[in-house]
Amino acid sequence: MLEFTTLIPVFAGIIAMFLPVRLGRVVLVVTALLHLQMTILGWMGKLTPSLPGYFAVTPEGILILLVTSFIFLCISVYAVSYMSETEITSEPIYIGCTLFFLGSMSMVALADHLVVLWIAIEATTLMSAPLIFLHRSKTALEATWKYVLICSVGLALALLGCFFIVLSMDIGQIHVPITFSSLSSVATKLDPVWLKAGFIFIVIGYGTKMGLAPMHTWLPDAHSESPSPASALLSGALLNCAFLGVYRGHQLLFQAGLGDYSSNLLIGFGLFSMLIAAVFIYNQTDYKRMLAYSSIENMGIIAFGVGVGGLATYGAMLHLIHHSLLKSSLFLSSGNILLGYGSKLIARTGNMARLMPKTFVAFFAGFVGISGFPPFGIFISKLLIILGAFQMGRHFSISVFIFAIIVIFAGAARLVMKMSFGKYEKDITVDENLMRVVPLYALLLASIILSVWMPDSLYQTILDAISTVGGGV
Amino acid sequence: MTYFSDALFSLTILSVLLSLGSNRLMTLVKIMAFQGIVVSLIPFFIEHHNEMTTGSIVFLQVMLLIKGLLIPGFMYAAVKKIKIQWEVEPIIGYHASLFAGLIFILVAAFITDRLQIHISLHEEYVHLLITAFTTLAAGLFLLMARRKAITQVIGYLMMDNGIYLVGTAVAKETHTQHVVEFGVLLDLLVCVMVMGIILHNINSSYDDVDTALLAELKDN
Repeated sequence: MLEFTTLIPVFAGIIAMFLPVRLGRVVLVVTALLHLQMTILGWMGKLTPSLPGYFAVTPEGILILLVTSFIFLCISVYAVSYMSETEITSEPIYIGCTLFFLGSMSMVALADHLVVLWIAIEATTLMSAPLIFLHRSKTALEATWKYVLICSVGLALALLGCFFIVLSMDIGQIHVPITFSSLSSVATKLDPVWLKAGFIFIVIGYGTKMGLAPMHTWLPDAHSESPSPASALLSGALLNCAFLGVYRGHQLLFQAGLGDYSSNLLIGFGLFSMLIAAVFIYNQTDYKRMLAYSSIENMGIIAFGVGVGGLATYGAMLHLIHHSLLKSSLFLSSGNILLGYGSKLIARTGNMARLMPKTFVAFFAGFVGISGFPPFGIFISKLLIILGAFQMGRHFSISVFIFAIIVIFAGAARLVMKMSFGKYEKDITVDENLMRVVPLYALLLASIILSVWMPDSLYQTILDAISTVGGGV
Repeated sequence: MTYFSDALFSLTILSVLLSLGSNRLMTLVKIMAFQGIVVSLIPFFIEHHNEMTTGSIVFLQVMLLIKGLLIPGFMYAAVKKIKIQWEVEPIIGYHASLFAGLIFILVAAFITDRLQIHISLHEEYVHLLITAFTTLAAGLFLLMARRKAITQVIGYLMMDNGIYLVGTAVAKETHTQHVVEFGVLLDLLVCVMVMGIILHNINSSYDDVDTALLAELKDN
């Protein structure tokens, strides 16, 4: 009954909407703990889905579910303290919607049926929209509107992609259930033209949700306008789920012998996203937007790594884990910074090293990690992607890749230095507090631990996940 | 039957062209109601769908109810609420939009013709696919070419109708598989957006939902 990872958050969410706020916060954390336990049971193979035609445990799915579950726990602990510090009138709605959001993301991670996956991704859109609109300001409205409209167009195109894949089955005279697991066994018999057409629409559709340029335009607005725990969740968990949709399409094409075609598409989108992120990070004035563009960059890196294949795909999967850990930690620190300085503009912050030392350490360490320095895992993953690309002889694209990460590092470093050591005369408004600092360190620590000690089961799961798209060590 | 379905296709295309050329929001809503009814009727009159099961008949009625009554009703309420009648200053003018609509028809016909190389379609399906692609493209176009939130939602609805038609055209054997039916969830998104417009207007003092006003978030 691994479906409980979806059902329990949904029920808890409904209950939390009617409970008093204090009790609702308890429900939030307890559900997060329960979810993590169930996910670990699923990881160990003790729990299996009871609706095999619609849900399945796949290595990449369970990997993403575990990452989601872990960061959700950290974020919900943080959110309890963050919410009591900010005056949000509709906190029950926040608690309910984050839980629904968790439920829909678990559904994405476990979905095996083409349409169930699509429904689950649509559900994530609907459930996360209220989170973005939580502050009820004019800019929050704008961000929510853009998010819903752009992602809905993406979803509509993804559904069209699903139709085309079903059509490719009809033309190939195949009668199997439309699940990814059964399609992969008959992939070579599918009609290649319609399969390719379907994949393009799926990449555009789910890529919109994942934040691949040029469909990324909702992402910086949504991430900067939503309250920080929600931004952390969007960036650390939602983008991975959308990536899973793209990845499943890529798997199908690879098994149908069209791997080159889908790889090139992914590499193209990946590099373009990185370049766009580089352009917009360089002169950024808002630190949450800076982090949002960094998410676009990292999604680009993951798409690139998956597209290159071989060792780089292994790197991409590692990158996905570490990006979630580090980026959600960074967004949570940005929440502390926002509480302390009362502004999202970099120009109105400064001297963080002295004013907010604990947050400063977490923020700076997160920045060091996300830029690809040891001891954090992104160092390893970027290195593996670069090595893998050289092995595959993709010299031109890897030079674009390296150029983009250098520009992004240079641009972001300047801004982070300003925030950390720049001048700031006034005092901060809200002090740090233990509950808003521990989750940041927990996430960072997880990344450090995973980069020096990789559990065998994790290693094996990643290898299983990437073997279907021609990846391997 | 072919005669009748062709009439429905041309009515759909007519509604698409009308919506591209009209600037009164109330008229647009009425056109969308008309289009919704026609689009949800089309599967009734397509030859391969003659062997209808009870389930599919119920579903078609539900579609008729949603596309023809529920969503236009919602939009009607929204237009009443926001008290604006005209789409002012579209990003792309009405004549240009109409011209674009005509070009979409040509492109859709061209694409469908190219598709024939891979699958031999019944003549009826060729016409259906042309209609579907035209509606889809015009919807996307309307979404991008207009400023008002409600008009963008109308564009999205039109795109959704187009996808429903593409689904109807490609789903020859998928009736046991139930894929097209889930297109109804896109209508759910439309409803959510319209609800957003209505609720937002109640909650705040803006008297105008103009997406041009929603332009504070950008990068320099």
